[in-house]
Amino acid sequence: MNATAYILLGILLIASGTGAAVLRNPVHSGLSAVVAFVTLGMLHMALGAQFIGFVQLLVYIGAVAILAVFAILLTRPEASHLPCLRPLRRAVAGAVTAGLVLAALLIAIFRSPSLNREPGPVAEAPVAEIGELLMTTHLLPLQTIGVLLTAALIGAVLFASTNHS
Amino acid sequence: MTALSGTIPVFASLEGAPIALKAWILGMLENMGMPEPFLMLVSIQLSILGFFSVFLLLFVLASWFERKILARIQNRRGPNRVGPAGLLQPIADGIKMLTKEDIVPVAADKVLHACAPVLIILPAFLAMAILPYGKNMTPVELEVGILLFFAVSTATELAVFMAGWASLNKFSMLGAMRAVAQILSYELPLILAATSVVMITGSLSLTAMVEAQGGYLLGILPNWHVFTPWGFAAFAMFFISALAESNRTPFDLPEGESELVAGHMTEYSGFKYALFFISEYLGLYVVCGFAVALFLGGWQAPLPFLTFIPSWIWFFAKILCLVFVAMWIRGTFPRVRVDHLMNFAWKFVIPLGVMVLVSAAVWHLAGRGPLGWILSLPPLLIPYWLMARAYGRNYDAGGRVYRFAE
Repeated sequence: MNATAYILLGILLIASGTGAAVLRNPVHSGLSAVVAFVTLGMLHMALGAQFIGFVQLLVYIGAVAILAVFAILLTRPEASHLPCLRPLRRAVAGAVTAGLVLAALLIAIFRSPSLNREPGPVAEAPVAEIGELLMTTHLLPLQTIGVLLTAALIGAVLFASTNHS
Repeated sequence: MTALSGTIPVFASLEGAPIALKAWILGMLENMGMPEPFLMLVSIQLSILGFFSVFLLLFVLASWFERKILARIQNRRGPNRVGPAGLLQPIADGIKMLTKEDIVPVAADKVLHACAPVLIILPAFLAMAILPYGKNMTPVELEVGILLFFAVSTATELAVFMAGWASLNKFSMLGAMRAVAQILSYELPLILAATSVVMITGSLSLTAMVEAQGGYLLGILPNWHVFTPWGFAAFAMFFISALAESNRTPFDLPEGESELVAGHMTEYSGFKYALFFISEYLGLYVVCGFAVALFLGGWQAPLPFLTFIPSWIWFFAKILCLVFVAMWIRGTFPRVRVDHLMNFAWKFVIPLGVMVLVSAAVWHLAGRGPLGWILSLPPLLIPYWLMARAYGRNYDAGGRVYRFAE
């Protein structure tokens, strides 16, 4: 992968991720998160994983981001009276949470075997291979996810219909 | 190439004309001693310029054509003052749009308000890059072509939401909410319809899909997907969803002027408004281009003896036919109500979309022949009949009443 592209996308990713965390307006931070998702998808594409990159765009922007933005819109931040910690305690709680998440990520990254592995050759037809693997080796997880999603769908319909009557 | 193309040299040379033109310009630059990276850049720019200019020209023509057709349907004359038959009307409109004052509401979120019209035009342009315009004429050959279309078209929803939210206007916001809900709901049948073609072709590449529709049954009938039971149902679903996705009548209620002024575009004026307008037409062209590539044989000629006409002419002719149908529908059907729209998507089109997948699988397993026809029809017709019966049980349209002018 091109080093310049990697650095540019990395800067954009960090900037938009930071924006998502620090921007005052919730809609702005939601849209900033969208930029981060797009950049992540572009990183995947630049690494040659076109399929993963486009699926990332489709799922995270088409579904997750839209839902998040809608949720932000339907909850009014200025009118909420949620119990809130005092500023100092809030900062400490935030720092502790962020530190724990960072520690967990770092442990996971440094224990991962892929750090010591040589990068393998890029597959000729990754999409076909992904499909092949999903339908043979990983058939059970795929079916399980299918059942789970169906259950979620039925549950959503049930919730919606009982609220009506 | 058939033998006929040899006898009509004009058409034979036209087939490769766009590629030859590009090669000629590049060759000239190479002779002038330009460096290799520059040539690559020019090559990319030439492709972009090609489809950019063609589609913008088509947009200009469509805005004139649409008004003429609507006028014809409504027994009027339509634009007839600027130029012959009003042909220069789009240019007058363009000048008007460019010289209009750009109004931004005081309370608006200025940055997002300005970003939305730019973002909304992006998906159409990105998706143009992967359309197979003719034989060997796909600007960007992507292995996952159809995924790109669905991935970038999600940007439309965000742009509409941004436009509605940033305007800080209740009509804008309501219109945007409606538009996003509508686009979200009709994205599903669009993807389901396209998935059936992916299943049959075994590839996500548009070029492979078009090539799979080549050849003729019994030497005369084109081998297009639309001429199969599942393909016909999927094409109908795809076209209906495409109309809804691009906010065309009868699904143009996000901008229903009687209730919402102009929906998410209410607070836009001048060229920003024009960008929304352009993106709507370009979106229609692109989605019709995908419908042509997926179901109508792409650049394949409809009859074997017509193959002497260049492939890209066929592609654009088919797109224009579909766009004409969309205009015809606009002149004919009233706008649907918002709850009808949602019910139609979730309770009728999406269940049928799942059955189209079943039907396509049966068609593939039954050998894609006469047996496939017999076996793949019931999974479509039985649910269709059952749903139509179930939903129509409590509905009485009353007798038809004619009222004549006296």
